[in-house]
Amino acid sequence: MIVYIALGLLGLLAASIPVGIVLFVLAFGIDAFFSPFPLMRGLGQVVWSSSNSATLIAIPFFVLLGEILVRSGVAERTYTALDRWVSWLPGGLIHANIGTATLFSATSGSSVATAATVATVAMPQAEALNYNPRLFSGAIAAGGTLGIMIPPSINLIVYGFLTESSIPQLFLAGLLPGLLLALMFMAITAILCIIKPSLGGPSRSSSWGERFAGLSDLLPILFLFGAIVGSIYTGWATPTEAAAIGVAIALLIAAVNKGLSVRMLVDSLRGAVRITAMIMLVVIGAYVLNFALSSAGLGRALQDLMANLGLTPLMTLFVIILMYIILGFFIETLSLMVATIPIIVPIVVGLGYDKIWFGILMIILVEMALITPPVGLNLFVVQGARRSGSFTDVMIGAIPYALVMLLMVGLLILFPQIALFLPSGL
Amino acid sequence: MTAESPLMDHLIDRAVLSLRRINDKLAVVAGLALLLTAGYILADIILRRFDASFGGTDEISGYVMAGVTSWAMAYALTKLAHVRIDLVRVKLRPLGRALMDCLALWTLAATALYVAYQGWPVLARSIRLGSTANTPLETPLWIPQAIWWSGWAWFAFSASVLALALLWNTSRGRVKEAEAAGGVGAEL
Repeated sequence: MIVYIALGLLGLLAASIPVGIVLFVLAFGIDAFFSPFPLMRGLGQVVWSSSNSATLIAIPFFVLLGEILVRSGVAERTYTALDRWVSWLPGGLIHANIGTATLFSATSGSSVATAATVATVAMPQAEALNYNPRLFSGAIAAGGTLGIMIPPSINLIVYGFLTESSIPQLFLAGLLPGLLLALMFMAITAILCIIKPSLGGPSRSSSWGERFAGLSDLLPILFLFGAIVGSIYTGWATPTEAAAIGVAIALLIAAVNKGLSVRMLVDSLRGAVRITAMIMLVVIGAYVLNFALSSAGLGRALQDLMANLGLTPLMTLFVIILMYIILGFFIETLSLMVATIPIIVPIVVGLGYDKIWFGILMIILVEMALITPPVGLNLFVVQGARRSGSFTDVMIGAIPYALVMLLMVGLLILFPQIALFLPSGL
Repeated sequence: MTAESPLMDHLIDRAVLSLRRINDKLAVVAGLALLLTAGYILADIILRRFDASFGGTDEISGYVMAGVTSWAMAYALTKLAHVRIDLVRVKLRPLGRALMDCLALWTLAATALYVAYQGWPVLARSIRLGSTANTPLETPLWIPQAIWWSGWAWFAFSASVLALALLWNTSRGRVKEAEAAGGVGAEL
């Protein structure tokens, strides 16, 4: 059954059948070949109960929040303000790229949206100030991936939903690793630019007066982040309620920035609905596959497989990580997560690892998938925002950051507390 | 080809275009439903400060999510937004690509039809038994389920129309129109 799933998954995906539909089809196959009793009579009920969920409605809310912010011109202001604070470091504006991406990750739940926003704002600067285009664009692509790690994260909501783990705990677990990754991105940039100064542009220093003047542009977005994460952490609101609060604050910020109009609102709503459907088809498909797999006795099959392999837990974990890196070359974040969760998470939990911790580990691995060629969505997005230059530049520029992510994977395995420290207080 | 083919081309283009327009409007309706729900949740949070509550926000947001999701499926389809892995597809010539698009869209349409078919008993049972939710609101379940099920039925219908249009356009060698009905869109 496991071989059937693995081969079927890869084959149908390669046939370019929509990912969500592939998961449905695999579930139908399991019903036909492996289940002693018909499962698909329950299909309607499974589809209904998987989408009738007050937890999942946080997804469209967070997407909508991001859409509103992106269309309201907040990104430009954030970028200018951050430029004043961090561009004195070796590497100059590149740090502003990473910083803006980090702040935007903290409000939008999506990596691609984050990369797209920062790329449109930052790219004209790179050309004007003569930066090395490789490192400059690589930093945007990598910084953007933080969108799915720093809360709120749509991918963590989906992970929590499919593995029945606590979403507030997942959000808190992602906070430290996300910030640490951002700092490590900045450190590697500074190191590279000290070794080879031609990589970065001119370091610029701003006066403290300018810096504090810029702070007023950072405050709204920090306030938004604080309201979302704070209300979840204090137990004052569920993630869904926090998302609704976030939508209201985003509308307020857009109104204050004079970015609010009917046209903009309609575009944001359409964008949110489109992305929601895109995500939900995959999620419902995974839910149906989950149902079919567990009804057909996946647990037993997995136990047998693991017993036959005879690997130690750590070795198994390494095999799984290697698999994600390889699959990550070809498959993107949410599809990669959702298609593998039904099989991989039971294995990992069976080995005695923590579900929350593995969720964060998995997020870093799928973040890598976003910036590893040949299929790396963030690379495409950044290249799309450049007016000239080859795709290879972005690809090479992202390599140092991909290595940093690998380092982070190692750190998480050695020190699980990086992820588990904050949620343990909840 | 027969003489009425140009007429057929025209009709098919019209059908695809109308589907697109209707779904554009439906998407805004779904979006407004989300916005209203966010407002409702917000009002409830504020009421809670004063030890009051509408009650049942979780239940209602769940229903809204189910309805928005099912009705949004067709919109995402007309926007070519459902994620496909096109690693192999981009390596092929236009004909091979068109055949893969046909395979993808026909599989999708068949799946959507099957889900709608298997979803009907859920709604039918709620209507027959007059089932209500096991909550203080005692919502008659057929109301949210009817909205949810009709969304899937609409998705199945839209997908079938697009699948037929794609097959027709491909067989007629109308590559551009075929791509518009069933190609791979740029993500996000």
